Amino acid sequence: MVDATAKPAFVLRLLSRNRIVKWAPLLVLSALVLFFPLIEWLEDFRAGDAHAYLIDSRFFSVRNAARIGISATPALIVAIGATFIIIMGSIDLSMEGTVSVCAVVFASVFIGLGGTMLSWAWLALPLSMVAGAMIGFVNGLVHVKLKIPSFMASLAIGFVGTGLALLLTRGDRIRVEDPVFRALLTERWFNFPVMVYIALVFLLVAWFIQSRTRLGRNFYAVGGGEELAHASGLNVERIRLLGFTLAGTFFSVGALLAVGRIGIAETATGNNFMFVSITAVVVGGTALWGGIGGVWNTLAGVLIVNVINNGMVVVGLPDFLQDAVLGILVITAVVLSTDRKSISFVK
Amino acid sequence: MKLEALKHFLPWFTLLVLVTIIGIANPAFFDPAGLIGLVADIVPLFIMALGMTFVIYIGGIDLSVQQVANLVTVITTVYLANFGMGVAVICILVGFLFGAFSGFITTRLFVPSFVSTLAMGFVALSSARYLSGERALSMDTTLRNENFGWIFGNTAGIPHELAIAGVLLFLAWFLQTRTTFGRALKAVGSGELAAVASGLKVDRIKILAFGISGTLAAIAGLMFSVKLSGGDAHIANGFLLLSIVAVLVGGTPLTGGVGGVINTVVGTLIVLVIRVAMVYLEIDATQQQLVFGVVLIAAIALTIDRSKLRGVVK
Repeated sequence: MVDATAKPAFVLRLLSRNRIVKWAPLLVLSALVLFFPLIEWLEDFRAGDAHAYLIDSRFFSVRNAARIGISATPALIVAIGATFIIIMGSIDLSMEGTVSVCAVVFASVFIGLGGTMLSWAWLALPLSMVAGAMIGFVNGLVHVKLKIPSFMASLAIGFVGTGLALLLTRGDRIRVEDPVFRALLTERWFNFPVMVYIALVFLLVAWFIQSRTRLGRNFYAVGGGEELAHASGLNVERIRLLGFTLAGTFFSVGALLAVGRIGIAETATGNNFMFVSITAVVVGGTALWGGIGGVWNTLAGVLIVNVINNGMVVVGLPDFLQDAVLGILVITAVVLSTDRKSISFVK
Repeated sequence: MKLEALKHFLPWFTLLVLVTIIGIANPAFFDPAGLIGLVADIVPLFIMALGMTFVIYIGGIDLSVQQVANLVTVITTVYLANFGMGVAVICILVGFLFGAFSGFITTRLFVPSFVSTLAMGFVALSSARYLSGERALSMDTTLRNENFGWIFGNTAGIPHELAIAGVLLFLAWFLQTRTTFGRALKAVGSGELAAVASGLKVDRIKILAFGISGTLAAIAGLMFSVKLSGGDAHIANGFLLLSIVAVLVGGTPLTGGVGGVINTVVGTLIVLVIRVAMVYLEIDATQQQLVFGVVLIAAIALTIDRSKLRGVVK
């Protein structure tokens, strides 16, 4: 053990290192935001065109920021749901199924009740969230009561969800064309569509849950050491159940935003959410072994992934290369935001 | 026999229950020729799952297997004319290198395998898209039959695919149970810190485990491309989750150190039987995914040996 009081210099060094690690995701994000305009500048410089760095950038513009915001929003909310679970040291892979079911439930009820927000059809919104919470609750039950590791339990629940969505839609697409609902995308305040602000509200709610409620603190306690949490009188099973229910609710909000973005609900609505959201959570600096990180990290992680994706398109990187570059940059981001001195191994 | 010893057979028991259910519903299931055909069809998935077993056995995960297999289908198709059977060597080498590099990133750069293998999968995907020129390629039939036609032959009623699976299974089993490397794998899976303390070169062992996973994924990809007589960057999609499911449902939990390659045999058969059951029980196509998920939960609830999860289920 290190005697902290006897070695203040060492403590100081540790603190600053900790601080760097803590802010690493934000540093990576800033570096990326400055990097893509640099490429644009270099291209124009080579071609001999006039180009003021950042000012003339197509990437570094409000329009493009709105574009990144739109693409990042549903993934952000889904990733926030997953963050709570990962803080507990578990994992939730049910998002693809849950998102599909919630999207389909919302769309069919919405159409069934009149198809416009100005009628009773708005009830489809809370109903879809209840559906998400229920799937999350069942997920938690399977995990906690049947003692199935969350990886497996949530993967299977995800299959069930996708199956349920397929059963409800019979493979069809449901279009949601109500202008009031689509205002999520079409109505803009200060250049950003409404859905971005809604996502920010849910981000604040998540932050409140994480830092200002007992449940939020308990997630960290369970993630920091489950046996210890149990020994200190926490009802770990209940916390886990609540965590999965909460995650399911956030997945359903993500589903609603996804439908708002494309105007279509179908079995495939949930596709790709799983790997993108888990990657974003990890890139943001939330450790898969639990106890570290939080929703702000996830915001940084989601933005990193979306900035990379968007930036590659803007600078005109060939299509086939984009996957590889994303992969390499994700590894780099994780390497930079991992405190390698505090862990002895990863799995 | 004590109750403790019976736990080993939980996956077999699950398999037996499932088979009995289908058998009662439709005795035609037990037709031997049909059964052999069914099992032969699932060989590529089994090989992929066999490799995955090593990684899950040490407590990691390999999410790159499907993309490595995709890449290999493209490599095989493109270079079959140049190298003939030698293309298999290239494929296996590529698979091993991809796996080993994921292992390197995981152990030396401290990137969790969930992310490192996912990212390496993206690299494989890009390579496959580049090499195939974003098209679905097909093989020259004569060349295919000359070099790899033997894979689909029969000897005494046994399809050669099954024989290949058997040989690989034997090798994997031998590696896991009869070599120091196998014992080291178990040590790493059961407790990495203890393994380090007892002087094992843990990093090297883990990198090798990922390398094995990549190698077997490449062999699975080779079989795909020969079977489908072509290759493209998306041909094996859908097999990643199934191969993970096959390993887990066989009783090798993600915590590591428990289970093994024989469990994966059972796990793959369970996945096969659930899939086949839906055809035999005439379940509507729109309901199959739902039923698959529910039966999977039941199967895993029956299968996993909870006594070795050390109290905490994460």
